[in-house]
Amino acid sequence: MSRFSDLQKNLFILAGVLAVIAALPLFITQRYFLGEIVLFMIWASVAVQWNVLLGHAGVFSLGQMLFFAIGAYTVGMMGVFFDISPWLSMPVGAVVAAVASFAIGLACLRLDTAYVALLTFAIVFMVSSLISTDAECFITEGGLCTPLFGGGNGFSGFGDLGFRKLLKGKWILGNYFVVLGVLALSLMASIVVIHGRLGLAFRSLGDSRVYAAARGMNRTRFHIIAFVITAFFTGLTGAVYAAHFRFAGPSLFEFSNLVFILGMIVVGGLKSTWGPIFGAALMMVLVELAKSWGDIQNSLIGIVLIVFVLLLPKGVAGASTKLFGFLKPKRKPSA
Amino acid sequence: MTNNSETKSVTSRRGFLKNAGLGTVGGAVAVTGLGTAASAQSGEAVVIGGPIQMTGGGAADGIEFKQGLEMAAEEINAAGGILGRPVKIAIADTESGGDDKITSAGQRLIDRDGASALITGYNFGSQIALQNVAADASVVYMHADTARAHTALVGGDPEKYWQSFMYCPSEVYYGFAYLNYIKNLEETGQFKGVNKKIALVTGPIQYSINIANSIKDEATKYGYEISLYETVDAPTNEWGPTLAKIREDEPGFIVVTHFFPGDQAQFMKQFLTNPTNSLIYLQYGASLAAFRDIAGDASEDVLYATNIGVLSGEVGSDFAARYTAKYGEKASPNGGAQTYEALHMYAQAAAMAGGVGEAYDDVQNKKIADRLRGMIYRGPTGSIRFDPKTQQAYSYPVQTNDPSLGMSHIFSQIEKKEENGKIISPTPYSVKEFRVPSWIKM
Repeated sequence: MSRFSDLQKNLFILAGVLAVIAALPLFITQRYFLGEIVLFMIWASVAVQWNVLLGHAGVFSLGQMLFFAIGAYTVGMMGVFFDISPWLSMPVGAVVAAVASFAIGLACLRLDTAYVALLTFAIVFMVSSLISTDAECFITEGGLCTPLFGGGNGFSGFGDLGFRKLLKGKWILGNYFVVLGVLALSLMASIVVIHGRLGLAFRSLGDSRVYAAARGMNRTRFHIIAFVITAFFTGLTGAVYAAHFRFAGPSLFEFSNLVFILGMIVVGGLKSTWGPIFGAALMMVLVELAKSWGDIQNSLIGIVLIVFVLLLPKGVAGASTKLFGFLKPKRKPSA
Repeated sequence: MTNNSETKSVTSRRGFLKNAGLGTVGGAVAVTGLGTAASAQSGEAVVIGGPIQMTGGGAADGIEFKQGLEMAAEEINAAGGILGRPVKIAIADTESGGDDKITSAGQRLIDRDGASALITGYNFGSQIALQNVAADASVVYMHADTARAHTALVGGDPEKYWQSFMYCPSEVYYGFAYLNYIKNLEETGQFKGVNKKIALVTGPIQYSINIANSIKDEATKYGYEISLYETVDAPTNEWGPTLAKIREDEPGFIVVTHFFPGDQAQFMKQFLTNPTNSLIYLQYGASLAAFRDIAGDASEDVLYATNIGVLSGEVGSDFAARYTAKYGEKASPNGGAQTYEALHMYAQAAAMAGGVGEAYDDVQNKKIADRLRGMIYRGPTGSIRFDPKTQQAYSYPVQTNDPSLGMSHIFSQIEKKEENGKIISPTPYSVKEFRVPSWIKM
């Protein structure tokens, strides 16, 4: 038997992964690529949380981008209306996302899978439309109208993380490590959930909902817990996104973002621990390559998704497990 | 064949100078490589980055912006490049997306493609994302976002944003220019509204909202009242609910500031199934060929305005003819002209400054920015002259009464679906009189 539990093993792997990402700026200096890695870390964090919710807890929610946007909008609104630093508004954004998810969870999570998906998607669509069509000026400065929730343009130009002043031309490195910190927290939380007692509860509910209920497990309660935890870290990721780009707008709700992140989970492997990270990396590389090929980008993402769903339904993680299993020398049966 | 003769006129240097409108401040000599600093420049291509919406809601314009850049680059190269260096265009798709997409596209052009300057038409998002990319990389950035946000940003911190130029006026002038125009129509007896009501339909983009709000705020001063203020999502094809409200309380005037050409085309088609006696004004989108293409017969008699549209007269007409000859009858010179003239203007400024600066070279790029601030450039859409404080082009007749010193705020009306709208105001560019739309039966 191994001296280390699954939880400990995964935390060791986490330390290794974070060390590799932290070392990347030693070799990559171009601001564009550093910016793309920052984006990778942001989307990877969202994908990891969604994987916990969808893959492990079995909650088919399409509302993750809403919680991401709540985090981002909190930073944007606090920055524009009250000139509050993102250092203060980022944790607030995460808490607001968690509170919102609790309220939405209470309303949605008593329902069955398909209805949860429909209802959460409907809520996202409703919020997005309300924001986009809000033309009433909340503040007007120099002829520039800003609606309460930013309208179609959203919020921009608010205070940053302060690294532009501190590091001058190398400001992106400061942002890089802040985003890495958020990814680390998100990953750590996901590992603790998946390989801890909560993960055990999710597995038992997944194996047999009736048996788990007979043993006194309240499905709705566990789903709400998963919903709130993942919303907190998704909201925190949205908040750091807003702090990095100094922007929060309705484009965050676009369906293409949802498909892109879902693609990361499918490619990486739903229900795995590390799949979404690899999925995020692969999808980012794919998009980067597709940029040189012009308008084919979205079609290419679609093709990759179809290929994975049909041929590798468990994603890269599932395929590699199979491959290791195949390569592992078989133990001879003892006499 | 027309194409051949057009090509000849492009490759002839004299023709090029005439066509590109380079007869300004001695810039032509510098561009063609006769300047003293020519030897200091290598023969390596100058990369101009175009962060452009090639997909999504803004793609109809984006395609024209790309073509405008390519056409200008061909002409500059045919005339010898910028101090001997050929111009190469690199495009990155901003996907009609938010600031993350726009920032990434701009940074990619600088770091991956080696762009020395960023030139585009307009992008969605906050409209201040690329100014920050340009400021961080010290590259000149020229755009036509028509955004008050640019004015506030650059005017508020000119030290940081020395490199960002908006080569058209901001959207705030549209509101009272429209009210002024319809009041003038009524006072001169060219049109008599069925009443003084204005139905305002706006969209989610700040540009649309700012214009709608400026009309709403000023309407009573001009003797009009707002009978409907409706905000629609974008894109939107189903205008039934909005039209029902309009028909319920017939207004003398309908203003649609939501500017997507496809959406506006659908609006006209659905409006004409049961029209009210209202004069219709569509903001900007109707100036594009895509609008006429989709709306067909429903595009005729529509009124629109733009503060960056191809003018009548030798420079504008010649450009429009060459542009459509090159890209087809369905191409829109109004869109292509924007990036076309911006690149020509940049090329002149760079040549006069002694050459193009690379990214992160703030010394040379500041020289180019200084030249841009001091220039007057006459292109197909009029005269570009920057307000030195906000680096936004002056507007004629709103900010100056001299058409050679400001970008013209033109009102046009579509006469035939096959042709661009004809300018009906202001002088000296108007070529037609206003005509009462055929759907108005009073």
